[in-house]
Amino acid sequence: MLIMASLQLQPGVFALFCHYASGKYSKKRASDLTLFFILGAETVSACLFLCAYYLANLFFFYQFRPETSFFAWVMVGVLIALSLMSLFCYFRPGPGTKLFISRQCAKNLDAHARLAKSRSDAFLLGAFSSVCELLFTLPLYVITSIEIMEMAVEFSPSHLLTLLYIIVPIIPLFIIRWRFHLGHNLADIQKSRVKDKNFTRIILCFSYLSITILFIYFRIIA
Amino acid sequence: MDITNNKTLIKNLKIDAKAVGIPAGAAEIFITKSLKAAEKSLKSRKIITEKDLERAITKELKKYNADFAYVYENRDKII
Repeated sequence: MLIMASLQLQPGVFALFCHYASGKYSKKRASDLTLFFILGAETVSACLFLCAYYLANLFFFYQFRPETSFFAWVMVGVLIALSLMSLFCYFRPGPGTKLFISRQCAKNLDAHARLAKSRSDAFLLGAFSSVCELLFTLPLYVITSIEIMEMAVEFSPSHLLTLLYIIVPIIPLFIIRWRFHLGHNLADIQKSRVKDKNFTRIILCFSYLSITILFIYFRIIA
Repeated sequence: MDITNNKTLIKNLKIDAKAVGIPAGAAEIFITKSLKAAEKSLKSRKIITEKDLERAITKELKKYNADFAYVYENRDKII
């Protein structure tokens, strides 16, 4: 959940979208559009989580399949790669908070944030920004699904965990929206993002590494 | 080069100014003065790159509003 809340692509696109919306429309309309962006992001998060359930079920829960441990090792490899990527490639070198996505994709997101004028545009932009971060979120969803499936038989808190996992990615968006409501602007938000850049890198790297270690311990060694 | 008549640039700058919280009238004056000054400062150059233009406009905008200049300078460095 810490990783989900630390990822920067969605908050970056959302901050841009809030900026353009407040520059073009009235406060009420901007607020309405930003809400639909969050709704789009939330819907895709929920859908991705469902897909991850399916993948986890497909690859890990045929208990007697010999490949199960193979997929577990694949997962470990992916997690280690992500922890290294979050340290070295998540933010591009240079000033600002340029992210790992291709420049063409970043330009597209910026153009859509600038041109979005209806609720459906805002919804789609939220959904698209969520999909762009798939590389970093899908393995997490898969691992959480595995843990939740294991829990489901014994504990009812697994439902709460599922709910939390779907809600947590949009908390940073609500914080940004709240900051815009308080009168902060894109410059303030971007300055704080730049200031926290290295901290975010380290948090992401350590979080992925700790998940990897826990995964190896509980799913492979145990 | 005539940047004072570049409608897209002026429109985008106006959106940025409003979002930063600068009143419309003041924004219009800031933008016009900044673009004129930027154009004047680049007049002597034979070759002008997009970065030169961006730097000149940012330098002029900084005189009026730091946040506005920061947003303009960093608009493609956010995602």
